[in-house]
Amino acid sequence: MSTTTATETHAGTAEHHELGFIRKYIFSTDHKMIARQFLFSALMFLLLGGLLAVMVRWQLGFPGRPLPAFIRWIFPDTMAPGGIILPEFYNSLVTMHATFMVFFALMPLMAGVFGNLLIPLQIGAEDMAFPRINMASFWIMPVAGFIMLASFFVEGGAAGAGWTSYAPLSSSGEWTGVYMGQILWLVSLIVLGFSSILGALNYVTTVINMRAPGMTWFRIPLGTWSLFITAWLLLLAIPILTGGLILLLFDQTIGTAFFRPEGSGEPLLWQHIFWFFGHPEVYILILPAMGFVSEVIACRSRKPIFGYHSMVIALVSIAFLSWVVWGHHMFQSGMNPLLGMTFVVTTVVIAVPSAIKVFNWIGTLWRGDIHFDAPLLHAVAFVSLFIIGGLSGMFMAAAPVDIYIHDTYFIVAHLHYVLVGGSLFGIFAGIIFWYPKMFGRMMNEGLGKVHFFLSFLFYNMAFFPMHNLGVQGMMRRIYDPNQYEFLQGLQPLNTFISISIFLFAFTQIIFAFNFLWSLRYGKVAGSNPWKSNTLLWTTPSPPPHGNFPEMPTVYRGPYEYSHPDVEEDFWPQNVPPAKSEAGGQTAAAPTPEPVPGD
Amino acid sequence: MSNAAVATMDRKPMPGMMVYNKKLGMWVFLLSEVMFFTSLIGSYVILRFAHPDHWTEVGTVLNVQLTALNTFFLICSSVTMVKAFAAIQAGDQKGLQRWLLATILIGATFVGIQVVEYMALSGEGFVPMLDSYHAVGRGNPHEGPSLGGPLYGATFYAMTGFHGAHVSIGVLCLIFVYIQSLRGVYTVQDHEGVEVIGLYWHFVDLVWIFLFTIVYLI
Amino acid sequence: MAEQEHSHPPYILIWVVLLVLTLAEVAMSLYMTNVSKVVLAVGLIFMAVWKAALVAMYYMHLRYEPARLWILAISPIPLAFILVLAVISEF
Repeated sequence: MSTTTATETHAGTAEHHELGFIRKYIFSTDHKMIARQFLFSALMFLLLGGLLAVMVRWQLGFPGRPLPAFIRWIFPDTMAPGGIILPEFYNSLVTMHATFMVFFALMPLMAGVFGNLLIPLQIGAEDMAFPRINMASFWIMPVAGFIMLASFFVEGGAAGAGWTSYAPLSSSGEWTGVYMGQILWLVSLIVLGFSSILGALNYVTTVINMRAPGMTWFRIPLGTWSLFITAWLLLLAIPILTGGLILLLFDQTIGTAFFRPEGSGEPLLWQHIFWFFGHPEVYILILPAMGFVSEVIACRSRKPIFGYHSMVIALVSIAFLSWVVWGHHMFQSGMNPLLGMTFVVTTVVIAVPSAIKVFNWIGTLWRGDIHFDAPLLHAVAFVSLFIIGGLSGMFMAAAPVDIYIHDTYFIVAHLHYVLVGGSLFGIFAGIIFWYPKMFGRMMNEGLGKVHFFLSFLFYNMAFFPMHNLGVQGMMRRIYDPNQYEFLQGLQPLNTFISISIFLFAFTQIIFAFNFLWSLRYGKVAGSNPWKSNTLLWTTPSPPPHGNFPEMPTVYRGPYEYSHPDVEEDFWPQNVPPAKSEAGGQTAAAPTPEPVPGD
Repeated sequence: MSNAAVATMDRKPMPGMMVYNKKLGMWVFLLSEVMFFTSLIGSYVILRFAHPDHWTEVGTVLNVQLTALNTFFLICSSVTMVKAFAAIQAGDQKGLQRWLLATILIGATFVGIQVVEYMALSGEGFVPMLDSYHAVGRGNPHEGPSLGGPLYGATFYAMTGFHGAHVSIGVLCLIFVYIQSLRGVYTVQDHEGVEVIGLYWHFVDLVWIFLFTIVYLI
Repeated sequence: MAEQEHSHPPYILIWVVLLVLTLAEVAMSLYMTNVSKVVLAVGLIFMAVWKAALVAMYYMHLRYEPARLWILAISPIPLAFILVLAVISEF
């Protein structure tokens, strides 16, 4: 069964034979199944990352207190003797929390799930350009994940030098006590990089070459646009990280001195390599969510996206600028101050396109016929929390201010506002919105609202006070702030934060239950339950193999909501312009008719 | 785009990049490879700026002449590759097979010479690791002073090693394409596989053009 | 598929030019010891870029591909410069 990818005129369900269980569910080349595979795997890793965070907060909220009896038995004496978390294990906890969240939860959720789900369906393609490479891209992820998980069980435990793995702390186990774990961390991420690169090249090729007729660049939905731009960032940034990881691996294993000062190596080189990747990386973690939010806000406000063109230009500008701001992570590194000043300027500039997007979302909501359902609530929360995260970012962009707040909890607050308040809420919006297309059923709306309100409440209770902690001098990754007298007064706040985190974590059970319950018992969904315009919603829920019976034709942009010329408050992209009844398969209006805008 | 224009497209996708998927995919992949070599080569340039004393005069440690010959071989293999492609464009199956085989053999020779070079260099004490670096240089007695420093060795082996790995993978892929050509898989109308492996192979040559210059000649 | 309607690029001629440039590079590097390091480096890199451009344009066919493809192909090059030049300023 070779799918000829050469000529694209063949569309639709070519395979009529039944695929066996393995080919259908395990080694599938269908982008929709791969999206589901990414979804289940990533949610598991999200859970793991969350549990690691809960352990971190246990130590900070109840320092030196043994873990509760029901989980104490899990941890051997090398990690938590008598249930009391050791400082070395704490270092591993903060490192692995971030590592699993960034690389195994957020990236797969953003690019793996939604890249796979949205791109072919929104552009009118039958699948990705390279379905087998797509399959490979998925399967590399659990392999890398297994290696990362294994690192907990080796002598010395899991990596403990932070997710940023600064050399020379990370290049030898002398200071962290971690040897094999650090090596496995590097190997795992090197392997995972291939997944990202293969996926990215697939997305780029598909969007460029496989759009349905009439789908010009400025008729592509913002969901696909954001994923297309993200794919470029992945393609070009991940290999930089891979190179750096390899050099660090050599330092650790064969004894080179790329980053080790005792051999004239340069620790600063590691930081530059890491953050040259690391800054585009954080945009990889947020841009897709911005795309989801645009789709949801336009659809649920029944209004066109305000400033669609400027939204696209903003995405492109952010992507371009993201390459020249990396030094703002390094203001305190001892870097050349003139270079640092350059980064201040570029960092302030990159706030502008992000702000334009925020104004446009607000403009979209303005006087819209807003349906306050779960996707919309999460999308609006994204906007408000992203604003807070962005504003704290402005403080840090100013190097003189950053002198005081670098590596404090102010930074931790910022990054969690953009990654949880932003990315995670955006992902929730996306999951709930596209769940019917993936699984053929709706998630429960009541549970969705309860989950949303409680999450929003506990999230802010947990993370907003971290701004205070930071400004008052509490540093990040610290095991015991009480060792410093000036921080002892912050313990009540830390305990409050920890309890809020536990409540936030418990609240996610509602989401998990809703997700799993609805798979079986959710309301059966039609093809277009949200009355959205994109080609994706013209297919059955879930779509068959091949997606479209024949390649659709696109006549307009994706945001023609509440258009005066149309009776309904939405106007799908593939409905021919003849405004009369037969919205059928007639290919063209032979007589040239005045077309509403292009 | 006017809807009248759309009507003429007859269920074909938008023109896009105006090259077929596999070719676009390979080019996009090569861009990621450019970034990968950027991190390795960039690290070399940066470390050399920071610690120029780790490097020596041209030709004192590395065998420029042998590597120049090797460079000649790799360039030849690019020619044989392009001749293979030209052959299948004209429908010449035998020509395709012969030129592919030539490319494979020359590529393997390149790797072989590099392995020999590595063995000679490490025998002279030119190694990547900090503790055992003691490069006496070409033709010098083993008890001579150490030339340069360990960063020289570390960056050399990292850059050329990964390039060699890419060449090796290229050779394996070429063997696959060669076997396919023996089975008559490629035709005048459809020889995409030959073109895309060609692109990869030329890219590997292109990287070497830079590496040879900045590692051996400067 | 039917893109290569042009006659073949002069493959052998390009090969000869590549060889000549390679020999010139080696000669310059080994025998022009009187010029400053900077001049040497600039000259050698110039020749290397010239060789690379020939391989890209003729062997990789970029000269005959749609413009949008070679624009895509050169897109990562500025990034390489940005990284290296910025970090060199540290030392």
